Amino acid sequence: MADKKPHDEHSHEEEMRKKHLMLDPLPRGKMNEMVMEAMLEKPTWKFWVVFLVLSFIVAYCLFYKWYVLITKGQGEAGVMRPDYWGIFLVNTVFWIGISHAGTFISAILRVFKAEFRRPFTRIAELMTTFGLVQAGFSVLMHMGRTWLFYWLIPYPNQRMLWPNLHSPLTWDLLAITTYLLSSTMYLFLPLIPDVAMARDRSTGWRKKFYRVLALGFRGTEGEWRHLHNAMNIFAFAIIPVMFSVHTIVSWDFAAATRPGWSSTIYGPYFIVGALHSGMGAAAVVLAVVQGTMKNMKYFVRGEHFDAIGKLMLIISMSWAYFYFNDYIVQWYGGDKWTRIMLHFHEAGPLGWMWFTMLIVNIAIPWAVLWNAKWRSNPWIISVVGIGINVGMWFERYLIVPVSVAINRMPFTWRLYQPGIEVPMGIGTLALFILLYMMASKLIPFIPVWEVQEGQLAHEFKKFGRETVVSVSELE
Amino acid sequence: MTETKQKEVDLLALFSDVAPAADAVEQLRLVGVRDDEINVLSGVPVTGAMLGREPHPTNVPKIAMGGAILGFLTGAFLTFVTPYWYPYPIRVSTQAYVPAPPTVIVLFEITMLGMLLSTFVGVFMDSFFPNYRPMKYVPEISDGKIAVFVECESGDQNKIIDLLKKLGAESVKPAEAQHL
Repeated sequence: MADKKPHDEHSHEEEMRKKHLMLDPLPRGKMNEMVMEAMLEKPTWKFWVVFLVLSFIVAYCLFYKWYVLITKGQGEAGVMRPDYWGIFLVNTVFWIGISHAGTFISAILRVFKAEFRRPFTRIAELMTTFGLVQAGFSVLMHMGRTWLFYWLIPYPNQRMLWPNLHSPLTWDLLAITTYLLSSTMYLFLPLIPDVAMARDRSTGWRKKFYRVLALGFRGTEGEWRHLHNAMNIFAFAIIPVMFSVHTIVSWDFAAATRPGWSSTIYGPYFIVGALHSGMGAAAVVLAVVQGTMKNMKYFVRGEHFDAIGKLMLIISMSWAYFYFNDYIVQWYGGDKWTRIMLHFHEAGPLGWMWFTMLIVNIAIPWAVLWNAKWRSNPWIISVVGIGINVGMWFERYLIVPVSVAINRMPFTWRLYQPGIEVPMGIGTLALFILLYMMASKLIPFIPVWEVQEGQLAHEFKKFGRETVVSVSELE
Repeated sequence: MTETKQKEVDLLALFSDVAPAADAVEQLRLVGVRDDEINVLSGVPVTGAMLGREPHPTNVPKIAMGGAILGFLTGAFLTFVTPYWYPYPIRVSTQAYVPAPPTVIVLFEITMLGMLLSTFVGVFMDSFFPNYRPMKYVPEISDGKIAVFVECESGDQNKIIDLLKKLGAESVKPAEAQHL
């Protein structure tokens, strides 16, 4: 037998500290300083260039084009028989999907006490709120007469008619509104102690801004208890709300008796799809934050990408399962129109989209994310994440306008040709990134108190001859 | 504590850890300071159990439950009542006028909305947020220090300062209300 080197306990601990944020504590004051520095750092010229370009895109592609759409009418968009549902609804589904990652990371991982979640819960929660803003915009664009959106709100109109509360579109309004409000409140509650920290360390207009946001928080036993209780209620309650949102979105399709849409598995299939794109987006955002913001390499480490990578792999497998389940039942059913539609997906003019979807959603994640070293690399995981998002957008494109193109009246078949939707969709993406950039300068991205709480709970413990990590239950 | 009525002072003791702060709370109790005269402030959640005190009462779960009930009733009103207020109700063959499955969806969404909104409001109500009046506070708390505020009579001030210093307080001084 080869000689075994004596176990170097010290270097083992050192290595563990280097890998895991929870084992590498810094004084709270130092961590506060690092988070404040990241936020207050003077923007570089590159930041301003990206900021200005994105602002221009938002102003022109989103708002100006929206003005054109309103003044000239829906004819500017490519929607016409039989494709009345186009990119606006593709984007609605896509952005709601992106928003699911925030709740998944923050609420589900909080409920299960997954410790790796601590430094990036806020970055993920922001994704929920900002994603839902884009989803809301996309629905309003689709409505055409945007200014009459309030007709959806449940109150009687001049003719004493209430909205039809048994219509899936009204469910959409209720579900998206509930989710947007609750995710914004869920973002704000754990932010209070961090803005109080920022208030204590700021001057000038920032001091006033954080003072208002901190609401007078001091960190009394009572304040922590109320906050803790509320966060627990939110973490448990927002999970079924999140599930309901995308299930209701799926019913917009599944409740119709169209070939390819009428499916009992659409609810869970849409949820898994949402998590797939959301986790991919979370990986990209985390990599950008780590790569561009000061001091973030201390808070966001390989272990976090590793954990997200594992989740992405599991979700990719689940998505493949649901996709195949939906496909095989429809294919086996033998309905003539469904068969034609499925064939149109694979071998029609947009067959390349179908194959790309399978490659980037299944083949590439499976080929890359099994390897711990690769998935711990921010660049590799963000490329996989971008791929998944492209793939998931293609999936929604195939479900919405491409599936609508094939119906039981062949004389109406027509391939959807998008118009003004394309720049407006790009505008929503630019607004999403722009909101993140602005948030990075206004609110602490790292929940410092949650990180410190986690670090206090972790310690090394001797277990026989081995040093292991022990986590205490502090709640 | 002293019998004669004396001026009350607030003392602020800063500790670097929870353990000495918990010891201080215990010793203060032994010298006759009531629990409601002690307040502990921290930059991370410090529970009553950690400090050897009763957990602070909270109404947030009750308020959340109230909101859920209110939300459910609103949902029930929208789904069960409003259809009957239509001036010209359209009844289709044998279809139920108020079908149950879609009603479940509306009831669920509005119940959850009521519960979550009231949970949020509950934090504001229980914590007296927003509160922008001058308050006793030091910024070191958000830097990880544990602050123990003690209300005592001026005659006991020196005794309590000595006690807190002996128990490991980094500093003990009269607390002053200030704009945060």
